[in-house]
Amino acid sequence: MIAAVQRLPAEVAFVVFTRAAVVAALVILLAFASPHFLTSDNLVIILRQAALQFLMSAGLTLVVLTGGIDLSIGAVLGLSACLGAALIAKGLVAAGIAAALLVGLACGLVNGALVAYVGIPAFIATYGMLWMAHGLGYVFMKGEVIHGFAPGFRSLGAGFVAAIPVPVLIAAGLLAVLHVVLHLTRFGRALYAIGGNPVTARLTGMPVKRYLVAVYGLSGVLAAFAGLVVIARVNAADSGTGEELLLTAIAAVCLGGTSLFGGVGGIAGTAVGALILALVVNGMNMLGIATFWQAFAMGAIVILAVLADVSFKRRFS
Amino acid sequence: MGAVPRAGRAPALGRMPGLPGAAYLLVLLAAGFMAAAPEFASARNLSNIGLQAAALLIVSLGMTLVILTEGIDLSLGAVLGLSGVVMSVLLVSDGLALPWALAAALLVGVVAGSVNGGFIAYAGLPPFIVTLGTYGMAQSLAMVLTSGNSVTGLPASVRWLNEGEWLGLPVPVLAVAAVFVVTYVLLYHTRFGRYVFAIGGNRRALELSGVPVRAYLVAVYAYAGFLAALASFIMTARMNAAHPTIAIGLEFDAIAAVVLGGTSFDKGRGGIWGTVVGALTVALLRNGLNLIGLSTEWQVAVVGLVIVSAVAVDALRSRA
Amino acid sequence: MRLIAVLIAALLAFPAETLAQARPKIVVFTKNVTNPFWRAVRVGADKAGKALGADIEHAAPTKPDNIEEQTRLVEDWIVRKPAAFVFVPVDYKALVPSIQKVNKAGIPVVIFSNRMSDVDFVTYVGSDDETIGYEITKYLIKTLGGKGKIVHIDGVPAAITAQNRKKGLERALKEHPGIELLASQPGNYRRLPAVQVFENLMQRFPQIDGVVCANDDMAVGVAEALAAAGRGGKTKVVGIDAIPDGVAAIVSGKLQASADYSGHDQGYLATAAAIRHLRGEKMPKEIRLPVAIVEKTNAKPWTLPVEDKPVPDWAKVVHSQKM
Repeated sequence: MIAAVQRLPAEVAFVVFTRAAVVAALVILLAFASPHFLTSDNLVIILRQAALQFLMSAGLTLVVLTGGIDLSIGAVLGLSACLGAALIAKGLVAAGIAAALLVGLACGLVNGALVAYVGIPAFIATYGMLWMAHGLGYVFMKGEVIHGFAPGFRSLGAGFVAAIPVPVLIAAGLLAVLHVVLHLTRFGRALYAIGGNPVTARLTGMPVKRYLVAVYGLSGVLAAFAGLVVIARVNAADSGTGEELLLTAIAAVCLGGTSLFGGVGGIAGTAVGALILALVVNGMNMLGIATFWQAFAMGAIVILAVLADVSFKRRFS
Repeated sequence: MGAVPRAGRAPALGRMPGLPGAAYLLVLLAAGFMAAAPEFASARNLSNIGLQAAALLIVSLGMTLVILTEGIDLSLGAVLGLSGVVMSVLLVSDGLALPWALAAALLVGVVAGSVNGGFIAYAGLPPFIVTLGTYGMAQSLAMVLTSGNSVTGLPASVRWLNEGEWLGLPVPVLAVAAVFVVTYVLLYHTRFGRYVFAIGGNRRALELSGVPVRAYLVAVYAYAGFLAALASFIMTARMNAAHPTIAIGLEFDAIAAVVLGGTSFDKGRGGIWGTVVGALTVALLRNGLNLIGLSTEWQVAVVGLVIVSAVAVDALRSRA
Repeated sequence: MRLIAVLIAALLAFPAETLAQARPKIVVFTKNVTNPFWRAVRVGADKAGKALGADIEHAAPTKPDNIEEQTRLVEDWIVRKPAAFVFVPVDYKALVPSIQKVNKAGIPVVIFSNRMSDVDFVTYVGSDDETIGYEITKYLIKTLGGKGKIVHIDGVPAAITAQNRKKGLERALKEHPGIELLASQPGNYRRLPAVQVFENLMQRFPQIDGVVCANDDMAVGVAEALAAAGRGGKTKVVGIDAIPDGVAAIVSGKLQASADYSGHDQGYLATAAAIRHLRGEKMPKEIRLPVAIVEKTNAKPWTLPVEDKPVPDWAKVVHSQKM
């Protein structure tokens, strides 16, 4: 058994405590600042936005755990969503969903192969994929918008089940599945090992390259999946879909305590990170703060979060 | 002194351990474009490429040092935008004299770089995250200063920075040459340069030998920020306006240029000759694709394909 | 290796054929390849080229609305010496030096959609963004009976289109004190950001009578958000651009109206102006397109796909302009 470099209990407690404190502080602050904040409607909206953000960041979390990065998730999301939309708008919902997921998988596998077998740094490989996916998306869409999906499909993004938005349920389900995968399967624990101690991982005979290809493939599939939910939500797909989502996804992962050095963190953290981001954006809209400051706030928050994590680790290990 | 590895000796072009794939790619692309588009080799176009690549070259040189220390800087595009905005606002709204406005812009670059370096070196945060954060903050500040608009009404003296000539050469070309010479000397003929290679290649050994590694690391990022601010002069002059988002994405192009040029993300291997080749390749590729009339949609895909292919070839070669 | 490359180049290099300049080559610039509005412009431009005998090529930045890229595109195109430029700047100030270079190279320029100053151009073709903002806001105010609370979802704040449309909105509001502007927030002309911004605003303001959106992409998103929240009947939404998606929403009743910014017509007229100028015809200094408000009762012609849309009548349009 490989001694996976997972988070020590004290660090887990620290991350959980600090993130919970941040969420609580934000909620209290905003509740005082605006009478409309604590309404059930608003909370539902925050949860749904957080759920969408989480879906987009889930695959990235897995990749980051291995010490890598995937810059192509926004572009892959857009490309697969557009290809899927073309079929879904014609009424071929199942085929469209399958097509989207396959495209996401293909892009992800290419990323993984480039990183694991060719030896290109993940940054460059996924950056190149970003351009290729964007380009293919532009070629396919030719500047058009695909709109109008069947209500059944739309419920993926815009529907409710007993007053809970469907994306929230999907996100909760995905969170549970990925958490189990990460902590109870060999594959999941291997991801931590690859990120935390790649040399040892290889020496113990772990099929590191195959796992890497798999994790990038998974990232692609999850990006495509998120794309389907997004287009279901807005009932339209165009070649710009997903363009703006990369940086917030990275922020959500880091806010959640997953280290970019690899080997440390988890999917639950990303969920909390996504929640914090949604709270901040909602709060800024509520308070009428100019959108220009949002980027500043996010940048500062991310740095502070990582600073706190690193300081804690330094003091207590 | 034996702990400091003798990395980073000044390589003459011939003595490099094998040209980066980008060098062959550059020649191949040039040949291909010359054949496919008659105007490609015209004096006008070649001079365009040089001028278009000037800002990218300058920023890429700073990025090379950062990557040599196993770091990365995602904020350089936003810092460039912020410096240009600060310079222009001071010129237009406060009527400051040009040298002072330029100095203020350079200061912005140095401060931003030092903030990056401080968090990375002293707090030990991952460079990716720190510079992502400062990217957001610099971008925000620039947008707030301008309400998202361009700053125009710059004094005519600014345009000299892009259109002027000195000793028969365009100012941007001279600027690139000057920056290259300074960076070359810094990297290959000073202790600072040796430490840059060492921080990337064998940081622990350097620390153990008592060198104030963290201070040097801050200096590296400050230098990158300084160069980004310098590049903002050229870009602002080119547009005769400052815009907060003018260089968004430039840092990624710079990273691509550095990696194409053979500098590796880890182990402190590489150098600035390669960066020059890489940056010229990127600029030439874009220019050539425009000249042959490839549609925008396909250009986006082709650029990604070329970058990945070039780096892949290099990666496979270094395995063999 | 280098030797081989040189040999290849020598082998492949042949004197370029220059076909007789019977068909002039015209380059049409658009801001990006993602927004359907610019696609409509390109379709209109192609129609003009086909009708009047010119070769049309398109130029758009790979990064949408990127200033530095458009600057490079202009420089690269000057080298290719087209017969004319049909141009819209992604930033009306930052692209001035580039167009001045085009002027210096002696290539005629037709500007459309976003005005530019300090440059020479043959003619400006466009709808007036300020008038559009004014008219669509007035339409909404009329629908609300002159009283109510409205919200404004803005485009990209730096874009001249957004700024001028907002000025038109403000002018209309000044004339109607019975209307209160609750908030104005940017959605950056994109659907998902607009939906999320508006969702948050819906929480802040339980009563919103009307929404003015700077473009249809956002307006349709806002309309869907309202429908999802069950507030669709109580809030009227208007947009700008009359893109197919928006028109479909008008027909289905989700969207109240949209102001036609007619990319298709602009593309056609601007390109036609360039071709005719090359033939020696005199052009009016400006070709202003009237603002058409598309609503349910008159939406039929706008439901046609852009390829099938009838081209504007050149003689009629120009006749109504001032020389």
